[in-house]
Amino acid sequence: MSDIDFVGLLSFVPAILRVTTPILLAALGVLISDRAGVLNIGVEGMMLSGAFAGVVASAATGSAAAGLVAAIIVGGMLGAVLAGAVHILKADLILSGIALNIAAAAGTTLLLFLMTGDKGMSGSLASQVLPKITIPVIADVPVLGTLLSGHHILTYVAFLAVPGVGIFLTRTPLGLRLRAVGESPESAAIAGINVVRVQVMALIVSGAFAGTGGAFLSMGYVSWFSQDMSAGRGFIALAAEVMGHGSASGTMFASLLLGAAEAIAVALQGRGLPSELMQTVPYIVPVIALVVYARRRQRLLARA
Amino acid sequence: MIRSALASFVITAVLLVVVVGIVLVPIAMHMPDPLAVLDMFVFGPFRNPRHTGNIIEMATPGMMCGLAVAIMLRAGMFNLGVEGAFFLGGLATVATVLLVPLPGWAMAPVGLAVGAVVGSSVCAVPGLLRARYDASELVSSLMLNFAALFIGLFIVNYFLRDPTAGAMVSYKIPNDARLPRLVAGTRIHLGTIIAVAGCLLGAVYLFMTRAGFESRIVGLNPAFAAHLGLPIRWILLRSQLIGGLIAAGAGGIEMLGLYQRFSWQGLPGNGWTGVVVAILARDNPILLIPAALFLSYLQVGGDLISRNFDVPNEAVGLIQALVLLVVTSSAIMRNPRLLRLVSGRKAAANKTPGPKVAEGSAA
Amino acid sequence: MTNAPLVAFAGISKTYGNGTLALDDVSFSIAGGVIHAICGENGAGKSTLMKILFGLEQPSSGSVLLDGKEVAITSPRVAAEQGIGMVHQHFSLVPSLSVTENIVLGQEPRRGAFIDRAAARQRVVDLAQRYNLLVDPDAVVRTLSVAAQQKVEILKALSRDVRVLILDEPTAVLTPPETDELFERLHDLRAVGLTILFISHKLREVRALASHVTVLRAGRLVGDVPLDSVEDDAIARLVMGQAERPKLKRGGRVSGAATVTLSGVSLAARDAADRLHDLDLAIHAGEILGVAGVDGSGQRGLVSVLTGRIQPSAGGIAYDGHSIAGLGTAALRQRGLAHLPADRFHDGGSKRMSLVENAIAGAHRLAAFSSGPFLKRRAMEARTVQMIERYNVRAPGPRAPLSALSGGNAQKLIAAREFATEPRFLIADQPTRGIDVAAAAFLHERLSELAEKGCAILLITADLDELLALSDRIVVLYAGRIVARMENGPDLTPERLGPSMLGLESAA
Repeated sequence: MSDIDFVGLLSFVPAILRVTTPILLAALGVLISDRAGVLNIGVEGMMLSGAFAGVVASAATGSAAAGLVAAIIVGGMLGAVLAGAVHILKADLILSGIALNIAAAAGTTLLLFLMTGDKGMSGSLASQVLPKITIPVIADVPVLGTLLSGHHILTYVAFLAVPGVGIFLTRTPLGLRLRAVGESPESAAIAGINVVRVQVMALIVSGAFAGTGGAFLSMGYVSWFSQDMSAGRGFIALAAEVMGHGSASGTMFASLLLGAAEAIAVALQGRGLPSELMQTVPYIVPVIALVVYARRRQRLLARA
Repeated sequence: MIRSALASFVITAVLLVVVVGIVLVPIAMHMPDPLAVLDMFVFGPFRNPRHTGNIIEMATPGMMCGLAVAIMLRAGMFNLGVEGAFFLGGLATVATVLLVPLPGWAMAPVGLAVGAVVGSSVCAVPGLLRARYDASELVSSLMLNFAALFIGLFIVNYFLRDPTAGAMVSYKIPNDARLPRLVAGTRIHLGTIIAVAGCLLGAVYLFMTRAGFESRIVGLNPAFAAHLGLPIRWILLRSQLIGGLIAAGAGGIEMLGLYQRFSWQGLPGNGWTGVVVAILARDNPILLIPAALFLSYLQVGGDLISRNFDVPNEAVGLIQALVLLVVTSSAIMRNPRLLRLVSGRKAAANKTPGPKVAEGSAA
Repeated sequence: MTNAPLVAFAGISKTYGNGTLALDDVSFSIAGGVIHAICGENGAGKSTLMKILFGLEQPSSGSVLLDGKEVAITSPRVAAEQGIGMVHQHFSLVPSLSVTENIVLGQEPRRGAFIDRAAARQRVVDLAQRYNLLVDPDAVVRTLSVAAQQKVEILKALSRDVRVLILDEPTAVLTPPETDELFERLHDLRAVGLTILFISHKLREVRALASHVTVLRAGRLVGDVPLDSVEDDAIARLVMGQAERPKLKRGGRVSGAATVTLSGVSLAARDAADRLHDLDLAIHAGEILGVAGVDGSGQRGLVSVLTGRIQPSAGGIAYDGHSIAGLGTAALRQRGLAHLPADRFHDGGSKRMSLVENAIAGAHRLAAFSSGPFLKRRAMEARTVQMIERYNVRAPGPRAPLSALSGGNAQKLIAAREFATEPRFLIADQPTRGIDVAAAAFLHERLSELAEKGCAILLITADLDELLALSDRIVVLYAGRIVARMENGPDLTPERLGPSMLGLESAA
């Protein structure tokens, strides 16, 4: 009896990691933008655009890698566009992000139609899929194998990026300057740092991460793009970043929590619970977590 | 002051034309007859009374969602739950009308009331969380939009679904509940009057009532509000309750005014349009009316060219996004040179020499 | 040590976008290797001139010369390259970063792609020892005391190889022993060849520190002399000008019962400027009680507890003998509290709202201005026009936005609003800071009038002349405690207050 439960739980882990991947990638991007003081609300649109770009590029070239590169570039470019809106047009950060989301939803559907004549799905495009990775020796180890091997390449990228982003923020000169810019732009300017340039770069990187997350959606386990396929995951990534207390590891745990919530919801759907109600879970859990975080912060401030 | 307001209105109008051109002209050039496309987009909506009516009936949810956003923004709250409130309000209204036994004359009022209250929770809950725990209403409202969507779909699927109909839609809405049509040959319904009245009432609320005044103080300068001893948390919460009720009511009105069955399978997008309308109207409730009409005029034009020329109407979405961006750009809208150019004045260089102490910026 | 002019200002003028003339044709030079003081009242232009030297502002005309050559200092980075460093009045540190991170920010020592933490730390330790400014390199800046933060600021400036160090009112936030230590360090720095520019309005410090002083008044240069050639009152006259100030001596009036009493009030706070320790104070009806004290001595905390924004951590406050524990600002205003806040455009009004809205806000729920849920706009406007006339507010009209008014006129309108409630207790916090002489005089008269009607007034001000002209009694606040209490009288001078303000005497 207990063996079966254990095995069941174990096979659950890859599912959680799979669902967490796009959220984590996007959330890391949001983290970088947030620490630089330019919270990227447009992450949803950037994910969607990355998903679309990946499908189109990989279909055109026959190469999955090309699709991934396209997704990253498109995401980065949209990050630059958002930065331009804020610094050149002096538009409001949040409203520009919203504008970008609206434009991405409309633009991807429009382009999809122009390319395939179909608004719903890119079925006619022969887009590629990015591979899964099996680690040779470890894969055969009983428990460890399931935990560590056989995941999608972008899943590995996402989780390896966590310490990467963390080290970047805390131990590199650019990371230090980025944090200074986000917390106290006047002090950073006085120290001779070009605040605008740092923020533009942060948004470009943020967009690149979001684009990668989008590539996972359309080239990870499926090989198509469908209208609005990001389905709010960008916003969930926003929630994860807020829950993450501003650190890369915090963001990772928050993303895992939200990924687990979604994975559990999917599993429970299979067991007969109404699918729609289960689909609310990934959106309600972040709200609850947000409240817990806010309460804790309130209590800390009150004590000071 | 009037001259500068007029100047900024003129700049806005010119920019809107430019924005529309930027998106539409390249698309039209792709088509065999670009001029016909442009002609249909710009003038088509006025050639047929049914289409002109479309402009008005499509502006209705825009006006109300815009009003909801404007009221919340005036209090300084970035609550984006309008989208979910609209959806849930529509759903709850239909559910009430279908499930609760009511006499014919009561169906619409009761349905709309229940719909407004239930749907407002999508805006009210983030408001409560902000008031009590200081949690970001931006993120929580974005999440609750989707939660509302799935709860709504659940209710449709399990309680309202008509098995005889092909797709996942509800039973037919009883005729008694539906809002009366106003103009023959169009689909303009009572809801439009309610929406326009709502905008006027919104202006009265913001500028002529005590509550609206307090809301504006909190939105413009919370430190001043604290100095006066205003109950800030309650004022913020109140603005979000009101916004939620309006947005949810808008959803109910849209359902009872235009639909035979509840058929939304996803978030309909009126909430985001409401944001664009509100920003275009500079949060001024009276300007919401022309702003919503303008945006729905674009929508109708887009639908026309999509039906007649096979141009996807997503182009309108792009235009909306650009409009939002341009209007919120203070580099453009507050550009002193541009303002002077339009209002035809030169800025006077003020020198205030002498014993007066330099204020604020110096020393 | 060369005494050739190191820094020179040639015809510097600066007009801000809103038309304010901050500097008017200022020219003087500063020799190398000296401590040179720049003196003047609030608003004289001292900070603006230094910001131009540091690249935070650009002159509208005129130029800056370094070593005789004209240099365009377009940003702090350029200033740093030229060897100019600045220690700011409101520090430019990043609170959540460590001392080391703050100091090396922008010039981080590297090891490959990473910051060389050991080298950075060593750099800070070396700097600290070299200049005798001891700080903990690993401490997070937010946790440091104000004096320690200032040391970090100075080290940050010094770390960039400066020849000229600018300090803007550095002692405003220091205690006397900390001030002495700072002065010793500054003398040490001068001895190793640094040129120090010291902005201050405190004559005693200027004497103790500098060898040369330049005086600015209302944006113009009015004096530029070596200190050993001139007496204190000569400098004072240069700073204040010859204008007659209306002496409104009150002093020694008989007042009534205590309207507001504080008993053993303490306030714990993260920021030292808010802390209070065991205050016992009574403010009587009809009296003006003046509070003197160096910036950051607890005035902010005092205002917070008296306006109900924060509850005291210990002790109690009573209005007419009834405790106000747990009551917030709204309830206190109903009991007769009024407040002229120090930051008038931030707390006292809303710049984008009209004069009518600013004038009636707070009273808008009264029957005179509202009926049911609606506002009586005509009544509001009529009353505002009355207030504008009575308080001599120069304004385009009642519907103009508050931002259209000058500081003095805005303050008059705000005062009109607060006084209109016929308060029983008024807190006037820096009521005439940065406003023109005529408006200031007008407000002084209104305050006096209000006191005569029986209002208890608490006057908090950095302007000692104002304090002495208006107060019946004076208390001195230092580090959150009352260290001196005295009756105001004709023989009371700023010099008498000085020692207790600086914590040198304690006669509470």
